[in-house]
Amino acid sequence: MTEHQTIHFAAYWLPLLGCGVILCSWLAMRSLRRMITARQTTADEQIPTIDAGAAGTSLIHRWDPRFKIIALLGFAFCAVSLHSPRSVLVALLLTIITVSIARIPWHRPLRRLLAMNGFLVMFLIVMPLTVPTRISDTLIIFGDWQLMAFNLRGLELALVIIGKAWCVALLMEPLLATAPLGATLEGLTRLGLPGKISETLLIAHRYLFVFLGEVQRMRSGMEARAFRPGRRWDTLRDLGNFVGMLLVRSFERTHRVYAAMQARGYNGSLPHHHQFRGATSDWLQTMVWLGLGLGLVLADRLHTGGF
Amino acid sequence: MHQLARNLHLQQDEPALYKLCGLSYSYPNGQTALKDIDLDIAPGDRIAIIGQNGAGKSTLLKHLNGLLPVQQGSLTYKGQALVEDHLRQARLEIGLLFQDPDDQLFCNTLQEDVLFGPLNQGLEITAAIAATETALTAVGLVGAAQRAPHKLSYGQRKRAGLAGLLAMSPDILLLDEPTANLDPHQEEVLLQLLKDFTGTLICITHNLLFAYEICERAVVLDQGHIHHDYTFKELVSHKASLREHGLDFTFRFAAAPMPEDLETEDQTPPTIKTHPDGHVAPGSSQLIQLQNYGFTYPDGTEALVGLDLYISRGETLAIVGENGAGKTTLVSCLIGLRCGSGEYQLGDKQVTDANRRDNCRQIGMVFQDSSDQLFCPSCYEEVAFGPRQLGLPKETIKKRVAEALDQVGLAGFDERVPLHLSGGERKRLALAAVLAMQPQVLILDEPTAGLDPAGEELLLGILKSLDVTLILISHDLFFIRRLTRRTLVLHEGHLVQDYSTEAFFADTNLTSLNQLDFTYRNRCSLEIMRLQHEHEHSHRHHHSHEHPHRHGDLVHSHPHEHEHEHVHIYNHTHHTEPDKASQESANSVQEPTHGHLPRADSPHDHEHPNHEDETHDHKH
Repeated sequence: MTEHQTIHFAAYWLPLLGCGVILCSWLAMRSLRRMITARQTTADEQIPTIDAGAAGTSLIHRWDPRFKIIALLGFAFCAVSLHSPRSVLVALLLTIITVSIARIPWHRPLRRLLAMNGFLVMFLIVMPLTVPTRISDTLIIFGDWQLMAFNLRGLELALVIIGKAWCVALLMEPLLATAPLGATLEGLTRLGLPGKISETLLIAHRYLFVFLGEVQRMRSGMEARAFRPGRRWDTLRDLGNFVGMLLVRSFERTHRVYAAMQARGYNGSLPHHHQFRGATSDWLQTMVWLGLGLGLVLADRLHTGGF
Repeated sequence: MHQLARNLHLQQDEPALYKLCGLSYSYPNGQTALKDIDLDIAPGDRIAIIGQNGAGKSTLLKHLNGLLPVQQGSLTYKGQALVEDHLRQARLEIGLLFQDPDDQLFCNTLQEDVLFGPLNQGLEITAAIAATETALTAVGLVGAAQRAPHKLSYGQRKRAGLAGLLAMSPDILLLDEPTANLDPHQEEVLLQLLKDFTGTLICITHNLLFAYEICERAVVLDQGHIHHDYTFKELVSHKASLREHGLDFTFRFAAAPMPEDLETEDQTPPTIKTHPDGHVAPGSSQLIQLQNYGFTYPDGTEALVGLDLYISRGETLAIVGENGAGKTTLVSCLIGLRCGSGEYQLGDKQVTDANRRDNCRQIGMVFQDSSDQLFCPSCYEEVAFGPRQLGLPKETIKKRVAEALDQVGLAGFDERVPLHLSGGERKRLALAAVLAMQPQVLILDEPTAGLDPAGEELLLGILKSLDVTLILISHDLFFIRRLTRRTLVLHEGHLVQDYSTEAFFADTNLTSLNQLDFTYRNRCSLEIMRLQHEHEHSHRHHHSHEHPHRHGDLVHSHPHEHEHEHVHIYNHTHHTEPDKASQESANSVQEPTHGHLPRADSPHDHEHPNHEDETHDHKH
């Protein structure tokens, strides 16, 4: 346990650094949130429409959804299997380039990252303190607090995890936002996803917004009658009634929607109307992406010393 | 003249499109929705199915599309029962427009949704896309084909739902409350679309003026039975039948003269100090004062711009404007659900972002859709919710609940489940829930939406009896006229007019400004008034009848004719020419002159009380 390197700081650096990290994180999140709010295109965009950018004409937009799914999901799998920070950084750069090529407004992927970051920040704090210490590790120790040794390898691991998570989250934008959701799900069905699942996802996405509208109106209805969530038991009962009524309304709507589908000839499956062509360019793009992904994995394994 | 069901219209040489014989249906909870329905519907019929809430209209409509199975009796479409392959084929020929467009628009873009029907019909993709484009063009939404349904306005969604049906080129259109929650302009757009439809049309609606324009035949349902089946003109001209089934909508004709009770009310203008431009000056008696008030949504949409508004205690005012004019945003700000920029003073309190949520202690609001306000398992809990949030003692809450329920005519409903109440009862329960908080200001957002005429009349009576400052958001001219003394017109977030309700009705410039076009409603009203006018009056006329009578001391009985004067009910037509009437201004109050058609061949057959005791002379 004595071979590893240690860097000593005075004890007062710990609260100072802690506060600094929290303050920086808070400021970053705040400015990110402001930027996203300012770029919202409609008032009801608390939940972004998945395929809001489907009308574009970029290279990614023109890509056959089936090939796009295979290539980008394949690249995402490669990205998450990387070990070294350098490889992850390259994957992240490639992902950022993809988002740029897709010409998707940046507030959308940033919003996605913002939603994840609260969780990811925990890795930055927990992993350096909990990762098992190895001989080659460098530890930062504040004062005499040996038990609070801050392992830099843990920090590196946390950063790798965050980088991979960002990669996958960012790739979801060119994957899902550059074609109508119906086309993407139809593509998934052609690739073997059960039709019922893709239909359920499609209808769930449509009614998410209707549900949200109902939640907002009912919440307004409660607030208009002086409801303030408190710590009393009454609040729990009121919230229970609220959730119960939402469930009842959703259940009733399910019946009505199904009736409306039947009334227009629904016989168990949604009609397919998206046309997929599978041109040479689609094959080529897919090969390039999969090649890049596999190349990264290969380089990573060579760098980290084996598979 | 109370004619019970009789089948109409069907020509002998024309096979029935639908034939219903002894059709009955009960829901799993035992509630009988339809009982012994006998009905023939011919191709090309335009039928309004009307009746009070719970009469069985929607259940009947669902049977016509095979959405509910036949439990008892028979139903045939084109000569065959609606089962299996015939049912599948029938659904591709019958379009059903649901009341809530969100039920109907289940795809993620408008184009996908409209394509759904044609593709199920087996059309090739190119033909289906062509049909979609035609249908979207017809409803004026071709530019919104790639938009998600939740990005469309309510009126647009309603039209989009219709486009989904029109793309299937249906033979039959079944419509469930097509005009619910639409503003007058959207209503007229829909009206024109349906007038252009040449197939069979079957429509459920409480909007009888709308039905009068598009339907020729009326089927009146009452507790699951067909009570009347005759031409629409016959129906509207027979006020007794309408009233019996809670459908008498003639009390609400926009073009009718001011009701007597309004005229007898205090005619002193409300305590509004009006500037020459119609605006009102601030003063200490004002309950609500907004100065240079605005509200902008996060995306930059200016919903309210530079509003100056003063409302006195006890005032009754209407806020009108097209959908999206800012009406709901304004009242959301007033009640404290939103916070805008500028000055807002409520009583003595300056409203800020920090204290706006306390506004609901003074201002109550009944939402357009009562379901948004009702979430408790019993009526008692629902009404008690508000007072409980105010921290009132249990005894006071109990007292307030009882008073509020009684006030809205729901005494004894304490243990009933709000979800199981009718639309009218739910609306009144929502009102009771607000009244129990004893607000100084009551805001009503489209209070008549979804109510049948009887429910509307009941609600009107309740609202007139309330002693509060009333703010009414409505497209319903009748309610505006009966309940308010002042009208604000909003347009694109600006307050463009602030004047007396009387001046609002005389304003002929609103149509072009913000599509507050009530032309067709007034035209229908006048036509119906011509068909039906019933009132009491007296005049001298001849009777030819037999009755015991006296000539001095001689008492005897024999047929004879004589002239006398007495008060009686007289059905008659108005002399105003329809063409002339339609040329009149849309919002002007017209009072057509009336007279009586010659009725020499139709002696009066009503009672003449005490007539036998009269001494009179006549030839023997």
